[in-house]
Amino acid sequence: MRSLIKRHAFQLTIGVGAILFLALFFLWPVIQVFAASILDASGKHFTIANYVNALSSAFFLNGLFNSLTIAAAASACAVLIGVPFAFCLARLPIGGKPALLALAALPLVLPSFVSAYALVLLFGRSGVVTGALQSLGIPFDSLYGAKGIIAVYTFTLYPYVTLPTVAAFKAIDISAEEAAQNLGASPARMLRTVTIPLVLPSILAGALLVFIESLENFGVPFVLAEDRPILSVEAYKLFVGEIADNPAAAGVLGVILVLCTVVALLIQRVMLARRSFVSGARRAAPLIQIGPGLRHCAAAYCWSLIAIALVPFAAVVVISFLEFRGPVLHAGLSVDNFAQLFERSYRPLTNTLTLATLAAFGAMLIGVPIGYFVVRYRSCLAGLLDIVATAPLAVAGTVLGIGLVMAYSSGFLILTGTWLIMVLAYIVRKLPFSVRSAIAILHQIDPSLEEASINLGVSPAVTFMRITVPLMLGGVIGGLVLTFVTVASELSATVVLYSGPWTTMTVAMFQALEGTSAGVAAAAATVLIICTVLPVALVYRLLRWHELSMV
Amino acid sequence: MITIEGVARSFGGVRAVDDVSLSVRDGEFFTLLGPSGCGKTTLLRMVAGFCELDAGRILFADQRIDTLPPHRRNTGMVFQNYAVFPNMTVGDNVAYGLRARKLAAHDIRARVDRALKLAQLDGYRQRWPYQLSGGQLQRVAIARAVVIEPNVLLLDEPLSNLDAKLRVDMRGEIRRLQKLLGITVLYVTHDQEEALAISDRIAVMRAGRVEQVADPRMIYERPQTPFVASFVGTTNLITGTVSGGDAEAVEVAFGGGVICVYGVKQNAGETVTLSLRPEALRLLAPGEAAPVGWAMLAGTLAEIEYLGPVTRFSIMLADGTPLHLMALAPPVVSGAVTVAYDPQSIVVVGAP
Repeated sequence: MRSLIKRHAFQLTIGVGAILFLALFFLWPVIQVFAASILDASGKHFTIANYVNALSSAFFLNGLFNSLTIAAAASACAVLIGVPFAFCLARLPIGGKPALLALAALPLVLPSFVSAYALVLLFGRSGVVTGALQSLGIPFDSLYGAKGIIAVYTFTLYPYVTLPTVAAFKAIDISAEEAAQNLGASPARMLRTVTIPLVLPSILAGALLVFIESLENFGVPFVLAEDRPILSVEAYKLFVGEIADNPAAAGVLGVILVLCTVVALLIQRVMLARRSFVSGARRAAPLIQIGPGLRHCAAAYCWSLIAIALVPFAAVVVISFLEFRGPVLHAGLSVDNFAQLFERSYRPLTNTLTLATLAAFGAMLIGVPIGYFVVRYRSCLAGLLDIVATAPLAVAGTVLGIGLVMAYSSGFLILTGTWLIMVLAYIVRKLPFSVRSAIAILHQIDPSLEEASINLGVSPAVTFMRITVPLMLGGVIGGLVLTFVTVASELSATVVLYSGPWTTMTVAMFQALEGTSAGVAAAAATVLIICTVLPVALVYRLLRWHELSMV
Repeated sequence: MITIEGVARSFGGVRAVDDVSLSVRDGEFFTLLGPSGCGKTTLLRMVAGFCELDAGRILFADQRIDTLPPHRRNTGMVFQNYAVFPNMTVGDNVAYGLRARKLAAHDIRARVDRALKLAQLDGYRQRWPYQLSGGQLQRVAIARAVVIEPNVLLLDEPLSNLDAKLRVDMRGEIRRLQKLLGITVLYVTHDQEEALAISDRIAVMRAGRVEQVADPRMIYERPQTPFVASFVGTTNLITGTVSGGDAEAVEVAFGGGVICVYGVKQNAGETVTLSLRPEALRLLAPGEAAPVGWAMLAGTLAEIEYLGPVTRFSIMLADGTPLHLMALAPPVVSGAVTVAYDPQSIVVVGAP
């Protein structure tokens, strides 16, 4: 036994260390939320009263219904627009594909609540477009509420469906399609019976991510829901306490949110269980030749989709350079909004850059070894790690934030109010992506390279540093940047965890939204957009977008 | 000397290696031969330390090594896909194991130079792996493994990714290098021709067990089991009952006739399986007499395949048993034919 431990010292260190980290900063906070939901006001006795109260309240039930229907509708819409887009990109001869693919992925790193805010600026009650339409006498019903939220989710999250589906369309072995046609299937029949079933697992996986992200998103409903209850927002309000802080009720909402995600994950598992296709694609499927008319239609479809998704962000940038008098917009260029934003300090910007950098490196330092462990040492411990490291996906940022505050406000480790608790929350939240990404990279590195090094007398730990890490570097840097930009636009955990000196850009924008300084909010949004687009553009060649989609 | 004693390993109920004992002499070229899934690669990886033992032990000389971590075993392994580090030059690849052993820089340089020269890679020190062909990558992998002066050189199907002509050249080169360095080699392959050509001794494996260990000639000419007889080369296996005979030869009766076998002791009534190599059989032209000392079987010609240098005949014996044989200069025959055989070259390969 001792020799066994000694021989596997390196693997065991990684495995046990990772489990310890996740136990402390993921499982324990989530357990706290759960405990809060089943304990009475004294915090000592078990009760189901919190659940009874919540589930008998029309307001909560309404919130649950809103959250679920919006998430489901957003997933369906994302599939409806994302799958044809993927088909065009993968199989049709349209021009400018590299640009299309790059722009298609962009919404994933842009902060979605900025898009929501842009919608308010353009189509809100005093929006630019609304005003113009009304002055022309055209009645326009602004898009607050479910329809606006669904639209924002659809156009910011559809890449989760498109990216893996493009890969799946490309991975189809052409001989499967040729066999279908050879056996007498028309192109339409072939599409229905062979092609679509083969890409279905990717579509479902993408749809699930849209569902989960929609369910947990905080910023978009905060901007657009007005007084309609949405679970993630209500949990925040109950916990941070606009009226009274109520951890028990916040806990109940948190648990319900987590349950919804877990159920969705389980449904996906069951649906995919018997649909694991090994595509031994020898030849990639070729482009389908179509007439110029159809080709122009396809190109127009792709470009308009991208335009709809990205125009709000462009609009915000433009608006941020316009002059505001109070909430009213005037035609006239100015940098007043930025001056006002940074009037007191640059702290929000430096905070965002610092925290996102720390979180990106943290997620890498923990995620890469976990991925390594899962891929290279198939064992019970590896299986457990894989599940635990993926689990943060099922916990909304707000809920994780609440749990961390509950767990580390008192006792042996006090973190609430520090920068560390924010970084820890970011690391935990981004861990599933960084682990998946590491796994995908490692699958492309032949294990015999490591074995060759060990065989030549280099210990496993040194082999990892000398062989594995250098080979993973390109992919890891790409993952680092993706983590950085997604953390920079993180709001749902931040809004629970931040404290005055650690205000981030997202919080600055959030505060500007709560007030009425639309110009400042637009300026903050512009800064955020630059913070995300710039790093992505710099290392574009190293990015592996499909890893964001977890498939 | 490498001693493998009673080693076993199961993967989820399947016995990949099942109580195998072998010993490999110093300076010997020892081959593990068998079909895929027979456990030969698992056994090799056990020696390298990449696969745990459920039972048994492995010794180099009298030192037990199966308890050592793989990086302390001093085995040089050549992987099937070469596993040349893509992020290092050829020189750095070959120096890798020497640097791990913390040798002095000038020492490393001298040994790398010598290894590159031996592998016919002089001038390639600064090249990157992506600039090399498959055969060259193979040489780098071999140079990298032998430069550390391993206790044993382990080769895991090293030629399977090369094309046919290169395969023959490379195997000659590996053998030449092995003799030059006097190094002990444990070689894994599924290619019986390769094994026969290159080895001092061969262990034929099936389903995790060793069926026979012998030199190539004995493996081919005196196979001990039906599996060895049919896996190494091609053969006709015939099962029959010992019907009579004397101290010198026995007669084995089966549905298609009686076959005479020399040099074996079997009791009457025993069921045995015989191996008749195609080249030990001769199809007689009409009216041709059998060579002296040869016996004959009667049958019907069923099929002729022209293969270029040889022609392959399928003969149906009286009970429908097929008999395949080859001829360099095929006789013109049809219908009822006579096959002559040399009883000296018929081998009893055990009970069915």
